[in-house]
Amino acid sequence: MFVRLVSESFVRNPRRKILTGAALALGMAVATATLTVALEVGDRMAREFRSLGANLLVTPESDTLPLEIGGVDYRPVDEGAYLKEAELGKLKTIFWRHNILGFTPFLDVPAVIAGQPTTLIGTWYEHEVPVPDGTKFKTGLSATHPWWNIQGRWFSDGANEAVVGAALAAKNPGIFALGQKISAGRSASASDATSLEVTGIVSTGGAEDNSVLVPLSVAQTLSGHPGQLRQLFVSALTKPADALAERDPHSLTPKEYDRWFCSPYISSISYQIEQVLPGTDVHAIRRVAETEGRVLSRVSTLLWIVTIAALIAAALAVGATAATTVLERRGEIGIMKAIGATNFVVASIFLAEQLMLAMGGSVLGFVLGAGLGRVLGESVFGTPAATHIVLLPVVMGLAAVVAMLGSSLPLWRAAHFNPAPVLRGE
Amino acid sequence: MFARLLWKLLWGNPGRLAVALIAVISGAAVISALLNLQFDIERKLTQEFRALGPNVTIAPKQGEQAPEATAASPVLMDEATVARAIAETQTPELAGAVPYLYLVARVGDTPVVVAGTNLAEAQRIEPTWKLEGNAGGQSIVGRNVARQLKLAPSGQMELKYLGRSTPLAVGAVLDSGAAEDNQIFVDLATAQQLAGSAGQIEVEQLRVGGSAPAVAAYAAQLAASLPDYDVRPVRQVTEAEGNLLRRTRLLIASTIVLILALTALCVLATMAALAMERREDVGLMKALGGSISRIVALFLAEVGVLGAAGGAIGCLVGYVLARWMGERVFAAAISPRWQIFPLTVVMMALVAMTGALPLRRLGRVKPAVILRGE
Repeated sequence: MFVRLVSESFVRNPRRKILTGAALALGMAVATATLTVALEVGDRMAREFRSLGANLLVTPESDTLPLEIGGVDYRPVDEGAYLKEAELGKLKTIFWRHNILGFTPFLDVPAVIAGQPTTLIGTWYEHEVPVPDGTKFKTGLSATHPWWNIQGRWFSDGANEAVVGAALAAKNPGIFALGQKISAGRSASASDATSLEVTGIVSTGGAEDNSVLVPLSVAQTLSGHPGQLRQLFVSALTKPADALAERDPHSLTPKEYDRWFCSPYISSISYQIEQVLPGTDVHAIRRVAETEGRVLSRVSTLLWIVTIAALIAAALAVGATAATTVLERRGEIGIMKAIGATNFVVASIFLAEQLMLAMGGSVLGFVLGAGLGRVLGESVFGTPAATHIVLLPVVMGLAAVVAMLGSSLPLWRAAHFNPAPVLRGE
Repeated sequence: MFARLLWKLLWGNPGRLAVALIAVISGAAVISALLNLQFDIERKLTQEFRALGPNVTIAPKQGEQAPEATAASPVLMDEATVARAIAETQTPELAGAVPYLYLVARVGDTPVVVAGTNLAEAQRIEPTWKLEGNAGGQSIVGRNVARQLKLAPSGQMELKYLGRSTPLAVGAVLDSGAAEDNQIFVDLATAQQLAGSAGQIEVEQLRVGGSAPAVAAYAAQLAASLPDYDVRPVRQVTEAEGNLLRRTRLLIASTIVLILALTALCVLATMAALAMERREDVGLMKALGGSISRIVALFLAEVGVLGAAGGAIGCLVGYVLARWMGERVFAAAISPRWQIFPLTVVMMALVAMTGALPLRRLGRVKPAVILRGE
């Protein structure tokens, strides 16, 4: 009987139900779309921020002072400490190894090319680093210095090739043209000078434009420091710092320490790198790391607040619709009470209807909202947002709760009035 | 008569009125809050990107820039010329212009890079510099230098260069995470005196507000008034900033448009459901002899008033909401725009009336059919 009453009410007056269902579906679509975006935005934007370049710098702990002006180190090669190239693979073994997107070593060697003193910068473009677990990790300049533009092509790893800075090439177009061979040695009269082929001209916008870039192995041989490098730039995906991240790790309780260690703060990633590369000083490049942190946390907070506001609005609209449904069927309630239905029966019939409507509407709204969320992700980030199935029960639950709350208020009032005035039409 | 009927329609059933108003007010509040936010976000976000530091540099012509550590004969620029050119070039937002002069001096036996600059301006243009000690002191020492040479705030040091020497108090220790950690910053005049290059600088760094094309245009303009020097935007900063700002703006705008559209539709559906309730009233009035146009006008007026009133109240709630959001997210006030008020009221009234429009179709149906309940 109960089932028949409920199903008849759906069959007999579909128009009202469709409108109520539409309001429900749209409200839940808002909820789904905004929740989908809010869940993904942190990750997506963090990846976008990697276009700023490296956010961590690794240097030897017991180093002498680098004589660095405008990004190039002018120290004599035999002075100061070095990092070991062989250990770099360990960077991909830390807890947050999947957040290490790339790293690039640098080794500056003062050299003489074509009679002129120039700095030779040894680095990687696309180099495969052997990782202790047997795999190889490909990394290089494109991860940490994405704003460097190349005309021609980059040097092949380990080959006797060179890429010349744009300013240097402009000053000596005859010597540093594409395809030319240049001779680089430690001094003007070096008999063991290396012959390098110019494969590209790079425009960095910085002091490197006055230097020549070569594969790290070439610079290591020339400087007499095989297997070593001066500094390492690392690009890591991080989470904006909050109160926990700012504290000294040694002052944390074991539980807080676990939480800190298992969050990709820049401080915890630095700490993990220092653990795995002993004798190094790992520091955040504050310009990049802080801008990233500030903007990311603001955008994230904004989106969550907007999402919650939209959710509340959607919930109120849905509740209002549910309340309307009950209000306009006062006549039916009056009749049912007049023929002897208890308040409980009346309430349960209406609530059952609302629940079914909520279920159907929320599923439809979920599908619509997930689709819209995907489109939004696609248009902003280029890849569609993933559909979070976990949101379906959340949205259905929300719809059910709101619809039932919305209709229960008028139902409660309806329970307390006499059938006669209602049937009369008041 | 019209007004009296309208009044009765609105106030006849307070429960229904309350329900309708809640739906419209909540929708209007969200819409007006989001619109307020959208206009201010651009400016607030651009300010956050200031942390990236200088985005335009002035240097001597390419190829003759940086000094070697052993032989020091860098090409220098005239400080006054550069300052005058900057003062004369128009820009909407020049956050700071900082001159630099580098030399490799000795502290004890250790060679250290010393940068002469305007200490206060340099700190302003680099908000991410973390200073420990007296930021207004005579010098700022990078953390690696401090560690190596065992210097601390309010300590003393002596810079020696080519026979000249200057004693200085250590003001603050700097943590920047970049090359500045290996340098000592002193007042420009001190550095010029030490190097014997009075009135000359090596590099000028500027932070200019605005989008990437605006910065490039400013750099081009400045270059025109400094033909002997090389003026260019710092690519790492302007490219990335432009790209990121664009994406963030797009993300927020798309989310807001999505929410606006869906919320409006949701309110529409709610108002339509409410309007449906009036079917019998329409049938009754028609049976009594009322013209369909007058009847529909009456009900459209009812929902119109509901929409407008809800829109007005909702907009005010939205202003409060937007202010709270601004405080929470940016720790700065969002200035509400008065233009949003009429916009929201009109939009809500239109949405409500659109919801009631199906009542027009009832004009063609016989009253008896409606009154029977079909």
